Amino acid sequence: MTVTNSNRRENGLPGWWDWLQRPIHIAPLITFRILFGGMMLASIIRFWLNGWITELYVEPSFYFTYLGFEWVHPLGYTGMHLLFTIMAISSLLILLGLFYRPAAVLFFLTFTYVELIDSTNYLNHYYFVSLISFLLIWLPANRYWALDVVFFPRIRREQVPLWTVGLIRLQLGMVYFFAGIAKLHPDWLLNAMPLRIWLPAKTHLPLIGPFLYEPWVAYFFSWFGAIYDLGIAFFLINRKTRPVAYFFVLAFHLATAVFFPGIGMFPYIMIVSSFIFFSSNFHAGIFKSLEPIFSPFITEANFKVYSLRPITQKFFLTVFSLYFILQVIIPFRYLLYPGHLFWNEEGFRFSWRVMLMEKSGIAYFYIKEPATGKTYEINNREFLTPLQEKMMSTQPDMMIRYAHHLAAVYAGRGLKEPAVYAESYVSLNGERSRLYLDSTVNLAKQVVGWKHYTWVLPYIKTEQ
Amino acid sequence: MNLTGKKGFITLITSIVFLVLACDGNDKPDPTPDNGFDKTAMLTNYADNLIIPGYTNLQGQLQTLETAVNAFLNAPTTANQQTLKPIFKEAYLQFQRVSVYQVGPAETVLLSNFLNTFPANTTAIENNINSGTYNFAQTSVLDQQGFPALDYLLFSPNAIQRLTEATNNNRKKYIQDVINRSKSLVNTVATEWNSNYRTQFVTNTRTDVGSPIGYLVNQFAFELDQLKGPRIGWPFGKMSGGTVFADKSEGYYAGISGALAVENLNSLKKAYTGNNSGKGISDYLVALKKDQLNSDVIKQFDTAIDQLKAIPDPMSNAFTNNKELVDAAYRQIQTLLTYVKTDVASATGVRITYQDSDGD
Repeated sequence: MTVTNSNRRENGLPGWWDWLQRPIHIAPLITFRILFGGMMLASIIRFWLNGWITELYVEPSFYFTYLGFEWVHPLGYTGMHLLFTIMAISSLLILLGLFYRPAAVLFFLTFTYVELIDSTNYLNHYYFVSLISFLLIWLPANRYWALDVVFFPRIRREQVPLWTVGLIRLQLGMVYFFAGIAKLHPDWLLNAMPLRIWLPAKTHLPLIGPFLYEPWVAYFFSWFGAIYDLGIAFFLINRKTRPVAYFFVLAFHLATAVFFPGIGMFPYIMIVSSFIFFSSNFHAGIFKSLEPIFSPFITEANFKVYSLRPITQKFFLTVFSLYFILQVIIPFRYLLYPGHLFWNEEGFRFSWRVMLMEKSGIAYFYIKEPATGKTYEINNREFLTPLQEKMMSTQPDMMIRYAHHLAAVYAGRGLKEPAVYAESYVSLNGERSRLYLDSTVNLAKQVVGWKHYTWVLPYIKTEQ
Repeated sequence: MNLTGKKGFITLITSIVFLVLACDGNDKPDPTPDNGFDKTAMLTNYADNLIIPGYTNLQGQLQTLETAVNAFLNAPTTANQQTLKPIFKEAYLQFQRVSVYQVGPAETVLLSNFLNTFPANTTAIENNINSGTYNFAQTSVLDQQGFPALDYLLFSPNAIQRLTEATNNNRKKYIQDVINRSKSLVNTVATEWNSNYRTQFVTNTRTDVGSPIGYLVNQFAFELDQLKGPRIGWPFGKMSGGTVFADKSEGYYAGISGALAVENLNSLKKAYTGNNSGKGISDYLVALKKDQLNSDVIKQFDTAIDQLKAIPDPMSNAFTNNKELVDAAYRQIQTLLTYVKTDVASATGVRITYQDSDGD
């Protein structure tokens, strides 16, 4: 790490580069590190206490892996609890800013590994946590108000280039913006779906409850949600609108937490993360006011600006350019597939499509042995947990993996060339349920892959 | 440091905290039933007209059953067995009428699990009788008690012979213990409903996992799953490539599997419509403007019940002798289950899952 001061134009880099290198106070990164570490620690403890480690990663006999990550397996009761212990310790270390970089790497790896075990448990905010922890690896969030600084005072910095904070703001802004784009959908805007279904289920809420049967309330919430998601990042960036915008962040996410308690930690993660949009001076003020309490740990001031060597800088620029290009492309990969996105769900995950549809399904699987003509109907509970069955019943990529698993199991039970057929029905956004898969296709012979699944019947709009 | 910003920020946090505290945790009933739907009235109807009378009735039936069983145990004759059978059947049918309401106290004591896990584990039952040591409170002995155990102990082909053997005292005691255990479980549930739980039930108008409405819709799906699987599909050989396991059906030894299945589905329909009171889940669907779906579901209930009734009892014989009839009923039940798990669950905003987790 070297001390540098401007004159980067000599490198032939444009003006925006200078702007990105503009030194600001490090405080927003530090607040973010502490809040993120704390929240992850709390989430892990909550997850553990709910018994979800065992329920989701030990008890199932079969796991729905992701394409290309078939090598990811659960590690057994002791192994999974050990993994979560490592995750918890690394989030605590992130919070404390102790051995920060190894801790960030460890957290990213353990968390992402767990998420890759079973696509049943995919949640957009878990994906968000993976991305943020990846970004944190590269950021100097341990250079101020961190135990690393207490032990290694020479690494202390009070100023960092704008890009270090900008990366997180950009990532967060993209989550909101893409979630907003996803809501520009006729179902959401013109039919107020799925809120029109979900809100009447919430009439127990005080004050607002009785209004929730009214369709206009669902329309209001839908449009408000779409506009909020599209605009909030811009209003948070703008100094003048920021306080009001943050009020909306709180109001919006707390409202979703009250309306949909099932979404767990997500609202709190967004509320806390959005805090990073406040100015560096605002964040610096927080630490200033805390100084008297922590005075024994405060080392002498150091006004060096954190910066990277030119070669490292180029490397970072490449990594992050690539990262954000992917972030822009991935949500739109669905355009490469024919068919209806909500129905086929090809390119649905990793795209910030949050609470966009009400989809329920049921799938009856049959094993046929060609040699004997015998049919065996599958009791899904024998192979899947209730949550796995529910998730599988509406997602073709899970159905095909399950079909292949069934074929393997029944071949093991002595059936010759077992064929697997599925009769499944799906109801989307309040429409009547319809046959979902071609029930004449032997799924055991179909390939798992990136190509369009032709055995999913095309979407046809049905009456309500 | 922007002071106004900070002050504004603190005001904002305070107001939000206040807002959350105001919103969270108090589940008072909708104060004014609006143009929408009065969920509390619906739940009151379930509690007062279906659930509580159902348990009271079951208490009475079990009392009658106990008397009849004791008479049979004192004189284990074919005639007494014949007298006992309709009484046993009535009690078992009454259980079918409350089976779907496994919510609250019934869920706490796992009533259906302890009273009706079938097929009974006859080997384990015989071991229990021989050893004389067993603890019915353990979930590992679910399949050694309740109606399926009584069915086996009272009506299996050699029941009378065994009750007249020299070592019959252990057996008699086991039967009486099973009855006492069943009575005590039902009493616990009924008492709880009559004291505290009724108010909790009718005032909780939420629909999320664990709420009464959430439970009701989930229980419809669960009972239909049971009907399709353990009651018909499994013994019929659906999961075993056509190999029939007649003795695995419900009420096999008394030969009442068909009657039990019909009563189960009848009761489900009754639960769905709130006994045609205008205050059932079906009316909730109508209030949500799902009239067509509702009438389709009711029609499907009727079709499935008719098809089920067409199977001659004992259904366990029909598994081999009337395969087409069983298959037809099975298909209709599957269609009904599909409606409940997809269309009805979607329309009511209830998640069909017997497992808690985060979503997004």
